[in-house]
Amino acid sequence: MFAFSKEAEEKIEKILKKYPEERKRSALLPLLTLVQRQERHVNPDAMREIGRRLDLSPAYVQSVCSFYTMYSSKPVGKYLILFCVNISCQLNGCDVLLAHTAKKLNIEIGGTTNDMKFSLHREECLAACSGGPMMRINDTFYENLTAAKIDQILDSLD
Amino acid sequence: MADEQVTLTIDDQTVSVPKGTKVVDAAKTVGIDIPVFCYHEKLGPLGCCRMCLVEVEKMPKLMTACTMDVGPDMVVKTTTPKVEKAQKGVLEFTLLNHPLDCPVCDKGGECPLQDNTFKYGPGDTRMEFHRAENLKMGPLSPVITLDRERCIACQRCTRYSEVIEQDSALVMHNRGFNNEVGTFNNESYDTRFSGNVIDICPVGALTNSQFRFKARTWDLTNSDTLCAHCGCNCNMTLGTRTNQFMRIQARPNDLVDDGWICDKARWGYDFLESSNRLKEARTLPDGGTMLFSSPTTQDAAVRTAEAIRNIVAEHGPESVGFIGSPYGTNEELYLYQKLFRSGFGTNNIDHKVYADSPGLPIDHYDVSDIETSDLVLAIASDPTEELPILDLRIKKAVTRHGVRLAVLNDQATLMDKYAALSLHYDIGADGKVFSALTAAISGEGKADVKNTGIKADQLKSLVEMLRAGKKITIVYNPAALTGKSIHGLNQLLAMIKNIPSVECGAIPAAPQTNAVGAMDMGILPDYYPGGLPVLDSESIKQQWGENAPTEPGLSALEMIERAASGKLKALLVYRANPVVDFPGGKKVEEALRKLELLVVHDMFETETAKLAHIVLPSNGPGYDDGTTTNIGGRVQFRKGGLKTTNPPDWKIISLMANALNEEGDRVNYITSFSVTDEIAKKVPGYGEISKRSIKKEGATREPPANNNGSGFEAMDSPSPNADALKLRIANYLFAHDKILDASSQLAHQFQPSIVHLNKKDAKKLKLKDDDDVVVVSGDVEIAAQVEISDRCNPGGVVLPNISDEQGVWGLANDRDGVTWVEIRKV
Amino acid sequence: MTQILFHNINKKNLHTLEVYEKEGGYKGLKKAFAKEPGEIVEMVKASGLRGRGGAGFPTGLKWSFLAKDVFPRYLCCNADESEPGTCKDRELLQKNPHLLLEGMILCSYACKIETGYIYLRGEFYDLCEIMEGAIEEAYAKGYLGQNILGSGFNLDIHTHLGAGAYICGEESALLNSLEGGRGEPRMKPPFPAVQGLYEKPTVINNVETLCVVPFIVNNGPEKHAALGTEKSKGTKLVSVSGHVKKPGNYEIELGTPVREIIYDLAGGIRDDNQLKAYIPGGSSVPMVTADLVDTPYDYESLQAIGTMLGSGALIVIDDTVNIVETALRLTSFYMHESCGKCTPCREGTRWMWQLLQQIHTGKGQPEFVEKLEDICDNMSFKCFCPLGDAAVAPVISSIQKFRADYDELIAKLKADTAV
Ligand SMILES: Cc1cc2nc3c(=O)[nH]c(=O)nc-3n(C[C@H](O)[C@H](O)[C@H](O)COP(=O)(O)O)c2cc1C
Ligand code: SF4
Ligand code: FES
Repeated sequence: MFAFSKEAEEKIEKILKKYPEERKRSALLPLLTLVQRQERHVNPDAMREIGRRLDLSPAYVQSVCSFYTMYSSKPVGKYLILFCVNISCQLNGCDVLLAHTAKKLNIEIGGTTNDMKFSLHREECLAACSGGPMMRINDTFYENLTAAKIDQILDSLD
Repeated sequence: MADEQVTLTIDDQTVSVPKGTKVVDAAKTVGIDIPVFCYHEKLGPLGCCRMCLVEVEKMPKLMTACTMDVGPDMVVKTTTPKVEKAQKGVLEFTLLNHPLDCPVCDKGGECPLQDNTFKYGPGDTRMEFHRAENLKMGPLSPVITLDRERCIACQRCTRYSEVIEQDSALVMHNRGFNNEVGTFNNESYDTRFSGNVIDICPVGALTNSQFRFKARTWDLTNSDTLCAHCGCNCNMTLGTRTNQFMRIQARPNDLVDDGWICDKARWGYDFLESSNRLKEARTLPDGGTMLFSSPTTQDAAVRTAEAIRNIVAEHGPESVGFIGSPYGTNEELYLYQKLFRSGFGTNNIDHKVYADSPGLPIDHYDVSDIETSDLVLAIASDPTEELPILDLRIKKAVTRHGVRLAVLNDQATLMDKYAALSLHYDIGADGKVFSALTAAISGEGKADVKNTGIKADQLKSLVEMLRAGKKITIVYNPAALTGKSIHGLNQLLAMIKNIPSVECGAIPAAPQTNAVGAMDMGILPDYYPGGLPVLDSESIKQQWGENAPTEPGLSALEMIERAASGKLKALLVYRANPVVDFPGGKKVEEALRKLELLVVHDMFETETAKLAHIVLPSNGPGYDDGTTTNIGGRVQFRKGGLKTTNPPDWKIISLMANALNEEGDRVNYITSFSVTDEIAKKVPGYGEISKRSIKKEGATREPPANNNGSGFEAMDSPSPNADALKLRIANYLFAHDKILDASSQLAHQFQPSIVHLNKKDAKKLKLKDDDDVVVVSGDVEIAAQVEISDRCNPGGVVLPNISDEQGVWGLANDRDGVTWVEIRKV
Repeated sequence: MTQILFHNINKKNLHTLEVYEKEGGYKGLKKAFAKEPGEIVEMVKASGLRGRGGAGFPTGLKWSFLAKDVFPRYLCCNADESEPGTCKDRELLQKNPHLLLEGMILCSYACKIETGYIYLRGEFYDLCEIMEGAIEEAYAKGYLGQNILGSGFNLDIHTHLGAGAYICGEESALLNSLEGGRGEPRMKPPFPAVQGLYEKPTVINNVETLCVVPFIVNNGPEKHAALGTEKSKGTKLVSVSGHVKKPGNYEIELGTPVREIIYDLAGGIRDDNQLKAYIPGGSSVPMVTADLVDTPYDYESLQAIGTMLGSGALIVIDDTVNIVETALRLTSFYMHESCGKCTPCREGTRWMWQLLQQIHTGKGQPEFVEKLEDICDNMSFKCFCPLGDAAVAPVISSIQKFRADYDELIAKLKADTAV
């Protein structure tokens, strides 16, 4: 069974106020985001719960959920590393750094470490192009990466 | 505004169409075919498949004809080299990852993708990689197979689920190249209307599991016919091959079904070849008097007529009776009433166990009027379970035409969600509510809502809505009213008509296939066909001859009572199963056993047929031709598709009639239409009905005049003890009965016996969800599981009729009022 | 060079209301409220401001298209910034959130809008918090809410986060996403100005566009019109990325030559390599060859050389790159981001990606290149939304302008197999 945390419930109250009452479907993405952040993935129980609150069929919730890449169906690690591989970062050598990161964490790209600490995903442009190569770990952007810098960042996370 | 015409040119032809028409539909009006995949006129434009690209003068880009409204002086070209290149390109993309498995695809022969490729496509693909492989065939539900490889992501099916069914059970998952059709968590897609996605899928991605690999589409014989399950009378095609049933498809008729059929229509025809069917005539093998042995049907028909005639001769015409069926065709019912009235001289004729009479005090509206109304008032009706396609029509009206819905019911239904106002009265309080409403509208007398479960201000809101209405359609289910409250309803209808500025009509929405036809055909103890009251002896003698009986006959329930007391000697039961479906249960069976002669003319080996001295086999829908009249008063032709050596019912009945007649008076009908012609002559309102006039879309008959008296007064029925609750028996669309038997495709839809209790009562009775209980009335006990829902007001329970075996009607013991039951934990 | 957005961008704590006000912030409101809403629209028209989100549509004109007398109306600020190469809105949101709010308030007043949403891409969670902080401050100070500064004008502004989908930058997909749907684009017409959010008239503007509005209201439209060129007025934030020494966001006056941006502002090509190509307006516009480096950076001049200004993302590519790699990378992006609604885009992007990958990994056949061109032709202007056209741009321009790079890879394969 899924339940929103207390903090999440408080946020939901605020979120629902943003949209006209009869358009509460607008709260769907924000609610899914709350679930993703709380559980590190979105499972069917949570979708059902969101559907119940917003008066949407669970299938609809899943349909929307599966469209967006920031919702995952399996839990991601405590630190989710999104590594930009788009053009500007690529021109500045992100491929080598991505491989380096994967090797350092000893996981495949797209995978999660066994201790569930890190997940490493290939990501499209994150709007930090002039700071490429870059990665986003949870909500923080790290720019102008080098192998040494990556090592240092990853080592500093506990 | 709506009539504003726009003139444009398409491929050098001048086209004039109403404003708002899409270019693709405008082209169709002059025979120009613009290929489409995603567009479907009932779903509206989406523009995703890009198949319909055309050139429009002054537009730099090619335009999608399916999304584009016509404009004045627009010049459209559909066959330029630019268009042709685009069509080839789009088809190439569409086919890129579509398997070329046409030889084993059920859609083959009726596949828009095949057809469009043939007409517009490249002869060859330039794809050099492996086609994307996706999950091959899998069940989307027990009756629908999904082949994701074949899906071209046109979103027709998912939009259908969203726009038409309105429950978004079938959706698109993922995005981009990975998008796919699916349900929540891979659950089964088993709504009440799921099958329509098969018809609208433009490829073989969604197929009918029942039909899979059974035949090639081009080998089928398709009969254009009607569904025989409910009063909607939806149009459908019955596909057969070598006289075997193959499949059902929708056959759009906007005036009736708007292009859809429910799942009971699509998969509820296994009964055509059910092992429970009566295939031949028989007499009671032992016990009763052996009348004759191993008869042919023809033989048995003649013997039946003679046997009844003998009883009439001995005990008088009031000793025989006929219980007909609202499922029979007009022809069958007409002939039967004629047989009993003219042949046996009795008015002991009926087809129902509730109070109703022909005609309405206001106009009889057709179902299409719902969309053009501004207010629909649904009374005691649960369209989703009773008349599914009416459910879709109302939802469409509310969500797409801005029609307001008001609901007045004793149980919660899925319609409440769409209602602007939803009033739930206490079970059995319908009559009082009608009186209160009548008083409130007229301003005469007191609008008394005491003991109705409805509050005064709610009633006021409803009255205000009615007063503000311009065109009001009232949909009511006479079979769900209690006692004689139908007369109260008739007064109410007449009063609504009196509101100045209101134009209104009603749809008597009894669930049975031909309930309206049965009334029109005079399967009533007190009315001749066309609503002619028996008391109008003058007119009757004129129409039906000097000897026509003019004494009111017995109602169905009275006939059972008389049988019990030994006064009724012979009864012919036509396609009805009183033992299961009439109030009284065992008592009905005991009464029937007392009859000197019980004749059952039916399609199935029913509980009643088992008691019969003579059994006559009826072919019924799928085999016999005939007309039926739907809830909107529309008469249509129900064609048979399968053949049998057994004579059709209309022939059997005329054999009986001829057995009674002198040589010179014998009737000789050649087809069912010969009977239709006689109906046109003899039944007021049916004068314009003929093979021709009903050919395309059917035709509405003139509704009979309303002969309802006034002076209705609602009464309370007192509670027998403190714990007693009022019973509401509700319909369940997929009930496990003779039609949907254990081998039915829809068996997965069968439900357990559930009694719905109100929270308050559950608390009082100390019951929880899922408790096993028995619902008790007299010596009848029905096992059920408790579900605590607010399906009805406190003081009542709702018990859906989920199977013949469950036998809920055995509980009902009072035909004039309310049945009181007790709930006991086991 | 005159700067109207970035002149104080690195001021410490500019993101706080206090500093923003000290810098002269929110002065535009009083000025605006003294005028009729329609006058503000006229000012913006006269300023010559064009949308900075990609299409370059005149902003004042867009505001004047709102369906007459239909209320409520909505403002959606497009802060989805996901066009590869573009990172300017992020800097504005991060460092100067009140400027955006002021722009949104002015726009709302001009267009009689009482509710505004800022649609931020989901990855901007941190920026969303900054934005919410600013909104809270603005409410507290009476710049938002009921009867703003006693003007009788009411406005609520809310943030709304997306969840990872490039297509949601397209305005109608954005609306679907904001309404809690899949980010599939909508049919047009109806245009958002007539039926946008919740089927109501809606203004959708890019962050940068809205951030320019306070300048116009404060200084008058003439001041803005005086900047830039005849038809491309004002300044533009250019995100310079790729093979330059000093990548970054630079505010330039429209009409500044590309050479100046690359060599003066961004310090020239890294390692002093040769410039091979540049993409002037984000991944969705055609790339151009180095010889066109003297083109003035404005809408018309870039259009004249067969490309576009787009979102103002200048991606610089030096001569160490085989352009097939660039085309492949961008095609992979479009394949990943195609919403899948329409057939040509869904199928075409994948097919192109398959072909390019073959070429790139040395398995390409000579006819693949013509096939790619034909696929591009079958997609161009035949898809449901501009994403399909965008996907074609890198492929077709790379073939047309750097055919040799393709031939080289294909020939290499032949040579390899011959050995
Ligand atoms: C595929 C696609 C992606 C887009 N992405 C963005 C974006 O990330 N940010 C943006 O402001 N506009 C984007 N746009 C442009 C918007 O549709 C819209 O034109 C713009 O927000 C209007 O604002 P403006 O007039 O201020 O430029 C995109 C358009 C397309 C077709
Ligand atoms: S399954 Fe059929 S109807 Fe549904 S999206 Fe695919 S092709 Fe269209
Ligand atoms: S039929 Fe027009 S786009 Fe599909």
